[in-house]
Amino acid sequence: MKKSLTVRDIVIAGVLGAVAILLGVTRLGYIPVPTAAGNATIMHIPAIIGGIMQGPVVGLIVGAIFGISSFLNATVPLFKDPMVAILPRLFIGVVAWLVYAGIRRKSEYLAVAVAAFLGTLTNTVLVLTMAVIRHYMTPGVAWTVGVTNGIPEAIVGTIVTLAVVLAWKQIGKNKKSKISQDL
Amino acid sequence: MSSEFDISRNITIGQYVPTGSFIHRLDPRIKLLIFVFLVVAIALNTSYIGNAVGLILSLYLFWASKIPISYGLSGVKPAIPFIIILAVLQLLFQGQLFSGGKVFVDYGFILITSESIRLVIVSAVRFIEIIFLSSVLTLSTSTTELTHSIQSLLSPLKKMNFPVHEISLITTISIRFVPTFAIEMEKMMKAQASRGADFGSGSWWRIIQRTKEMFPIIIPLFNIALARAEDLILAMEARCYTPGGERSTYSVYKAVTKDYLILLVGLLLTLLLLFYPFPI
Repeated sequence: MKKSLTVRDIVIAGVLGAVAILLGVTRLGYIPVPTAAGNATIMHIPAIIGGIMQGPVVGLIVGAIFGISSFLNATVPLFKDPMVAILPRLFIGVVAWLVYAGIRRKSEYLAVAVAAFLGTLTNTVLVLTMAVIRHYMTPGVAWTVGVTNGIPEAIVGTIVTLAVVLAWKQIGKNKKSKISQDL
Repeated sequence: MSSEFDISRNITIGQYVPTGSFIHRLDPRIKLLIFVFLVVAIALNTSYIGNAVGLILSLYLFWASKIPISYGLSGVKPAIPFIIILAVLQLLFQGQLFSGGKVFVDYGFILITSESIRLVIVSAVRFIEIIFLSSVLTLSTSTTELTHSIQSLLSPLKKMNFPVHEISLITTISIRFVPTFAIEMEKMMKAQASRGADFGSGSWWRIIQRTKEMFPIIIPLFNIALARAEDLILAMEARCYTPGGERSTYSVYKAVTKDYLILLVGLLLTLLLLFYPFPI
C-alpha cells in the first residue's frame, strides 16, 4: 500500500464514486434481465476503472462507495444486507488492479480487457457466495444466476471498460484542460 | 413524455426533513455509530422476538424524529414484489438446508419446516427494519453532517497512517458531483434522443439491445467525469492542496451528557440483540 494518497488519487476516486452513485440512483446502471437476481449491473465498472487507473487503494475506495450506495438504495432484501452489499464490492478494484499490473507488460489492451472481465466476475462470484452463505439463495439458484447473469455482465463490463480506459489514455496524452476555454 | 429525461429532478440523495426533533439535534457522530451497531445487530439476529424488538425500535425512532412514516413506507413499497418472490423461493428450496425443527410439508423436493418458515419471516422483517433505520438516519442528518462525522469517527486511525481526511474528502467530492453529472447526463440523453437514439424502448428480454442503447450515454459520461477530474486536480494543485496536511474544520461537534446516554442505550440494545438468547 502507498503511504499517502495523491491529489490525483483523491479526485479520481471521488469522481468515479459519483459515477457509481449516479448509475445506481438513476437506475441506468441496471440492465433488466429475466433471472432471479432481476438485474445485470454495470455499476461496478467505476471500481474496476479506479483500480486500473490509480491502483488498489482507489479501487478499494470506489468499491466501498459503490457498495454503500447500493446498500442504501437497495429495493431487494438481498442487497439490504451489508454482508452482501458492501463486503464483496471491496475486492472488485483490487482484483482488477492485480490482474492489470500482472499482464500490463505483455499488452496494454489485453491487460485492461482481462482485468475488467475478472473484476466483473469477482463481483458476481463474491456476491453470490455471500448470498448463499447468508441463506438468500440455494447453491443451485446461485449457479444458475452466475451463469445466465454473470457471463453477459462480464462481457458488457469488458467492452465498456476498454472503451473508457482507452479514451482516457487519449485525454491524458493531450493534457487538455477545459479551464482555459470556459468556466 | 419528457419525464424520462428529468434525471436531475428525481435524485433524492441526502434528502433532509427538518423537524427539529430530539433525534435531529443529536450529535451526528453518535447517530452514525448507533446506526452501524444496530444494523449489524439486526443483520445477525435470527429470532422472532429479537426482530420484533428491532421493528418496534425502528418505528419508535420514526415517531421520535417526527418524520412522517410515509417516507419509510415509500422505501418499502417498491420492494414488496421482491420480498414475496424471495419468500416463495426460500420457502420452496431452503427446506433441505434448514431441516431442523418441526416438519410441516414433505413433498418430493419441497420440505417446509419451522426453521425454513423462520428464515422467510425473519429475512422479510429484517429488510423492513433496515430500510426504516437508514431512512431515519438519512432524513434526520444532512450529508455534510454525515461526512464530518465519518471523518471525526475515523480520526483515531490517523495514528496508523490511515488517510482519514482524504477518505472524507473523497466522500464529499462524490456527493458533490452526483447532481453535476446528472445534469450532464440529461443533456447527453436529450442530445442523443434528438438525433434519433432510442432509450429504454427495447423489450426487456432483449438484453444485448438494451445494453447497446446505453453505450452512447455511459461512455461519454465516464469521459466527462474524467475530464472534470483533470480540471479539479489542476485547480487543487494550483491552490497548493497537499494531501496529509494538518487541517481544522469549520464546524466542531461536541458531545454532551445526553448524547453519551443515548450511545449507552444504543449499545445496550445492540448487545441485547446480539447475545441475549431469545426463547423463539
